[in-house]
Amino acid sequence: MKEIFDILKREVRNISKDSSLFLILLIAPVLYAFMYGSIYLNKGEEKVKLALIDEDGTAVSRLLTEQLNSTPMIEIIPSSDISEAQEKMYQGEVEGYFYIQKDLEKYILSQKQANVNLVLNASRFLPSSDLLSTVTKVCLTVGAGVRKTYFNRQGMNEDESMKMTNPINMDYRPLYNSSMTYGAFLLPGLLAIILQQTLLIGVAAGFTSEREEKKLRDLYEISGCSISKMIFGKEMLYFCVFMIFGVFFAVVNFSVFGVTIRGSFPDLTFITAIFIAAVIILGMLIGSFFKSKLFAFQVLVFSSYPIFLVTGYSMPYQSLPRGIQVFSDLLPTSPFLKVYISIVQTGGTVLDNMGSVVHLLILLIALLLFLMLRIKYLVSKA
Amino acid sequence: MVREWKRIFSIPNFYVVLLVIPPIIFLFYGFIYQKQFARELPMAVWDEDRSSVSRTLTDMMEQNENIHFTNVVFSNAEIEKLMKEGKIFGAVHFLKNMESDAKKNHQSNITLYTNGAYLVPAKMIYKGAAEIIIKAGLAVVLQKAEKQGMPADKANTLVQPIKLNTTVLYNPEFNYQMYLTPGLVTVGLQMALIVASVLILNLEFKKNTIGSLLRISTSSSQIVIGKMLAHLCIAWLLFIMISFVVFPVFDLGKPQTDFSFFVLYTLLALACIGIGMMLSAISDNLLFVVDVALFFTSPAFVFSGFTFPRWAMPWYDQVYADIMPYTHFLDGFIKLYFMELPIGYAFPEMIRLCVFIGITFPVAVVVFQKKINQYLKNIQH
Repeated sequence: MKEIFDILKREVRNISKDSSLFLILLIAPVLYAFMYGSIYLNKGEEKVKLALIDEDGTAVSRLLTEQLNSTPMIEIIPSSDISEAQEKMYQGEVEGYFYIQKDLEKYILSQKQANVNLVLNASRFLPSSDLLSTVTKVCLTVGAGVRKTYFNRQGMNEDESMKMTNPINMDYRPLYNSSMTYGAFLLPGLLAIILQQTLLIGVAAGFTSEREEKKLRDLYEISGCSISKMIFGKEMLYFCVFMIFGVFFAVVNFSVFGVTIRGSFPDLTFITAIFIAAVIILGMLIGSFFKSKLFAFQVLVFSSYPIFLVTGYSMPYQSLPRGIQVFSDLLPTSPFLKVYISIVQTGGTVLDNMGSVVHLLILLIALLLFLMLRIKYLVSKA
Repeated sequence: MVREWKRIFSIPNFYVVLLVIPPIIFLFYGFIYQKQFARELPMAVWDEDRSSVSRTLTDMMEQNENIHFTNVVFSNAEIEKLMKEGKIFGAVHFLKNMESDAKKNHQSNITLYTNGAYLVPAKMIYKGAAEIIIKAGLAVVLQKAEKQGMPADKANTLVQPIKLNTTVLYNPEFNYQMYLTPGLVTVGLQMALIVASVLILNLEFKKNTIGSLLRISTSSSQIVIGKMLAHLCIAWLLFIMISFVVFPVFDLGKPQTDFSFFVLYTLLALACIGIGMMLSAISDNLLFVVDVALFFTSPAFVFSGFTFPRWAMPWYDQVYADIMPYTHFLDGFIKLYFMELPIGYAFPEMIRLCVFIGITFPVAVVVFQKKINQYLKNIQH
């Protein structure tokens, strides 16, 4: 036990002396969490600009315009003609345009189908898909209003005409993110990835510096020539610090950014603990392959996006190519995120996700074995 | 410039970051989105009606490319459990007597559940299922109107009095590979250029090669320009790799946009090299400058507004986004590459990138000249 505490004290000294490690391990997680998190403070987008050309200029077309403008999602930017609206879209001032043809009211009143046109710039997904769904809903609602008016005129009472207008009602219930906002979806995962990446890069760089400064043998001797004590001693500090960060994120950041933990806190703590332990081991293993801390930093900068993208968080796991799925399965992030999102977002439990928990535990053990073999090799060469 | 090329090809901090990692991650990004769409998403059906209508609707949904029914459930609790286990992304519930209610002129409900914790699949399922449910409702209206003796054309109009014609430009199918891969590739480029260039000047002191550099020239501006040109050539090499290898491999190549993309990209490369050289001139602490580069480059993608619009961010995040060259590059890139507009449309973004170039290089020249003078003074003593 004494050896483990000696290594722990040594690790504290190393980090406090090394400004780059101090920055990445102790400052960056909090800084990044607030910085990235604040982007999604408003959770979703509102007032997406849509140019509108109203060639009809009647009460019905104005009603349609008002209906569009009254949704929180759309802000109507009037345009005199299509070319002006197009130019606004090209300049990036609007995300698309809505064109109401002449005689809209005349067609509706004479029971002929009227056409309206929506042109969208889909070079960015979120605004265009939000516009598409909102405009579709508004047009369906206005269309239903026209139908209801017709049935009323046929002598049906309110109840009958309502049933005739909409005989099958779709009751849409988006669970666990009722407003279906991007921020509510992304924030929990983003905070977990920040925790992981700062830990991974910091631990890897810290281990590389042991190699770079040729201190590995010294460390081995302090541990009483026990690789497991050596790993455990080094891991303890990072584990404690990042567990504190984990709790801090779950308590402070979640509350600041309005994220509710639907599951149980002990479940969340349990899975986070296994994950942090696995990431520390992975970090040491990766760090053991570098000879220079500077170089380790430079290379690991590039790991954040690929790791996040293969976890199945942005693109569903099922839709990833087989090779990418295998790669994803080899990272602790993928099973962790599955359990973590289930607990935080849907109120699931560890038991609901036993498969992923076992997956994470297997990875932890496998990574630990690889690390022990790797250190044994490095110590023998030192 | 030639000396800098030699350094780039011999020092791992340069050649690995500039020439080894980029092709690997760029191909990886393309490969991740090889399937292009999120399709066949697992979904459950809870059919209490067990009628021909509910079966037809289930079959129609199964035919939709976004949906694949994997589970049959019999309660709300089962739906929630499967969602918590991550086994389904959505579910549809047909209430008892749905068909008979519809026949009796009673309004019936179809409930559609999605797991909003996974936004992309939830939206895809909504898109696929809602379309079918709405069409089914309108089909009932049509049938009833025709039964009441309304002529077919009028009944059709009544079903859909306002027809919405939608034209989705630039990525009509919402193809993920077409959308995300170019953005991720370009953000990877700015990362590589900045992370390498923060070591251009200070590494000379660290490796004690500053003496040999000063034997070529003691003018900071000449050194900065020479080194900048060498790194710009490497950036052009990366451009060739993207435009003629990575993009064509994943069918993302747009030869008609190559020239305008090249011009905009050159300005981004210069802005990135400028930022890197400025940091490199200011600080001799290599780890610190790499830390700063990491801090500056990693958030570029999310702050750029590519996935979440900038106007929806708080004002201070919008200001932070503005001090990153990638933000302005991306705005221009969307116009030139995705929208295939003439280069003139990206002039405002190009001017902003020129501001970065106009500030960073002069600062690098002035600060580095001071360091050179100090070094020469120390040697003389």
